Amino acid sequence: MRNTARGLLAGLVTGLAASGVLLGVPPAMAATVGPVTDDIGVVRIAKGAPIQIGGYWVLSGPDTALGLDERRGVEIAMKDAGDSLLGHPLKLVAEDDGCNAEGGQTAATKLAANPQIVIVLGPACSSSNTPAAPILWQAGITDIDTAATAPALTAANRKPEYDGLVRTVFSDADQGKADAAYIFNVLKARRAVAMHDGSPYAQQLAAVFAANFKQLGGEVLSTEAVAPTDVDMHPVLTRIASEKPDVLYLPMFIAATAQILRQAKDTSGLEHTHMFGGSSLAAADFIEAAGPAVVGFQIGYPDLSPEAMGQGYPKFVEEYKKAYGEGPISGFHANAYDAATMAFKAIQAVAKTDDAGNLYIGRKALRDAVFATKFEGIAGPVACDPHGQCSQLKAAVFEFTSADPKTYGIGKNPKKVYPPSH
Amino acid sequence: MSATTLTLRRFNAVDVILWLLRIGVLLIVVIGTLATLIKARYTIAQWLDFVMFGLTIGSIYAQIALGYTMVYGVLRLINFAHGDIVMTGAFAGYFAAAGFDRSGLLESRPVLAMAGILLVAVLTSTCIAVLTERIAYRPFRRVQGLAPLICAIGVSFFLEQTFRGLFGSSVKSYPDPSWLRAAFVVFGFRIPRVDVLVIGLALVFMALLYMVVQRTRMGTAMRAVAEDAEAAALMGIDVNRVIVFTFMLGGVMAGIAGVFYAFLYKQVYFFMGFTPGIKAFGAAVLGGIGSIPGAMLGGFFLGMVESVGPTLFLDGIGIPAPYQLRDLIAFTLLIMVLIFRPQGILGERMARKRA
Repeated sequence: MRNTARGLLAGLVTGLAASGVLLGVPPAMAATVGPVTDDIGVVRIAKGAPIQIGGYWVLSGPDTALGLDERRGVEIAMKDAGDSLLGHPLKLVAEDDGCNAEGGQTAATKLAANPQIVIVLGPACSSSNTPAAPILWQAGITDIDTAATAPALTAANRKPEYDGLVRTVFSDADQGKADAAYIFNVLKARRAVAMHDGSPYAQQLAAVFAANFKQLGGEVLSTEAVAPTDVDMHPVLTRIASEKPDVLYLPMFIAATAQILRQAKDTSGLEHTHMFGGSSLAAADFIEAAGPAVVGFQIGYPDLSPEAMGQGYPKFVEEYKKAYGEGPISGFHANAYDAATMAFKAIQAVAKTDDAGNLYIGRKALRDAVFATKFEGIAGPVACDPHGQCSQLKAAVFEFTSADPKTYGIGKNPKKVYPPSH
Repeated sequence: MSATTLTLRRFNAVDVILWLLRIGVLLIVVIGTLATLIKARYTIAQWLDFVMFGLTIGSIYAQIALGYTMVYGVLRLINFAHGDIVMTGAFAGYFAAAGFDRSGLLESRPVLAMAGILLVAVLTSTCIAVLTERIAYRPFRRVQGLAPLICAIGVSFFLEQTFRGLFGSSVKSYPDPSWLRAAFVVFGFRIPRVDVLVIGLALVFMALLYMVVQRTRMGTAMRAVAEDAEAAALMGIDVNRVIVFTFMLGGVMAGIAGVFYAFLYKQVYFFMGFTPGIKAFGAAVLGGIGSIPGAMLGGFFLGMVESVGPTLFLDGIGIPAPYQLRDLIAFTLLIMVLIFRPQGILGERMARKRA
């Protein structure tokens, strides 16, 4: 009988704790383990045991190259650190998030369930980052985002459940503005249709673009939407053709964008409409998927030319080629490398070793150290504002020059067309 | 007495809600359509385009739906792996098409090349369909409950992940021969050749299938098994052979549909069969599951609603980005049809059995 009552009480306490978790803030469980006291928890790594770094990216499906490229950036950073930190080997625990919300949730839950995960890097997609970051932060884990660019993730009014998220990649608040300026000032387009696929990335970027384009004096005829898995784009394109836009702004992912490019070619009324896409499209798979329709297609993209990148970038590209037998397969490897570097620096700043050689890392302390880390990254300077934005955009425009996927290479195909090199 | 009143009242509440739903949807459809037509934003040519797009995707849904409906007819099993069998056909066709493209045969001898691609695709999808039946479904034949359905979902995952493992998870692109890119011009309206080809060949193949089912001995046996498997067995019909034959027919249609689908939308990857599979299943239910003409009609209906619906119904009432709601519209109409006719458009009344 007493046992039952105790069981009930335990159930109630667990329930209460769970409801605290629902609030999205890490449960206040000030802990003292070894020499470290921390507000939300301490990771203890036994002598000789590896420091486990979590990672989650899109590693399957049409957008694989985007995520795999970032994972490689992290792997190279680990190699550069000698695969060890503070006398412990480094171990990457990478999950696939499929570039969607469900995948992000699953990946984050798996990582959060592993108490040995010190910090998490990734993801590539805002769709997965949006639900994942709060799950990680509930477990007290800091997440350094390597390529998810949705403005809301580091907006000044973001919710406390995102307190554990920083990113070493630019915000689309800047990308949308730069794209609008290029399309209005350089292409001289005045009538635009924006398009998204319902993902936080595309939806927010299309909205930022539309607002900036209107501000410049352009007209946004409509904002259209499709599903990322849609294949028959003819009806929506016919609808867009009836509005006679100068430019179609479509910052979406590979499968849907490729369908739109191909099918726009045989939609009457779109012959003179300029197509402009986003940074998730710089991949050989996109050239394969879009076929001949890709030639002349432009994307707004961070400037990856050596003069725009940080100092270590050319050396990094050499290492990349040596390790994987090919040049970078997408655009955010350098941001991922910087994210890993940032994590290592922060861990070094807060970790404490006891006499027996065990390592202790306070979770709250680590989060604060990440926010305070400043250095020259290979993608440019890294320094965080109070909302976790640690990198700035150097905008450029790239254009695809060939339909042969083998010619892919950032700088060659797609080739930088703006700003003009000097 | 009081119990009867209570039951009546409960039925009334449900009825009222259902009627309100019907009236609401009908109002949106009617007002939206009128408003769109009055606005006159689209030209006749554009409307014709919408219809052609709808018929094209509809003919593909129809062919896939046939596989669902035939298997349901003889086995009362919803073969959830059917969409993935379409994918296997599209993949096999891809390797043939890429080969023909490299050798130049696809450009110079279109008919021969297409026949070759279709043959490879159909052989693959048929073999896989028959193997699925033999290995996965037959052991579950006499099992009651949900086990066969769960098994079908398992087969679906198995096929997807196997193809992912074998050929990677990236998108492969069908070749785009020049003869397929051209368009016919009829009375000043431009109709893409690929659409005509897909719709025309789909109609031919579906007519052939209908003939097989209606006119051959095997087709008659199939219909007999669908009506009453035990009685058919007592009449000397080899039920196992009939079931294998049904899976073969479904596999053939799946292979053809896979190749057409891939020539229209170019991209093949391991997960491509899922969405068209679900839609075609919806089409089969819409037409009346178990009915072959019903599956064809349901496919075309769903394709048309998807293509024309968002513009026709929603443009007029000023809803932005209507194509985001494409699936919502299609499946709302599906539910509406089922509220009015639970057995589907051409389905047979089940009421007699229930009574």
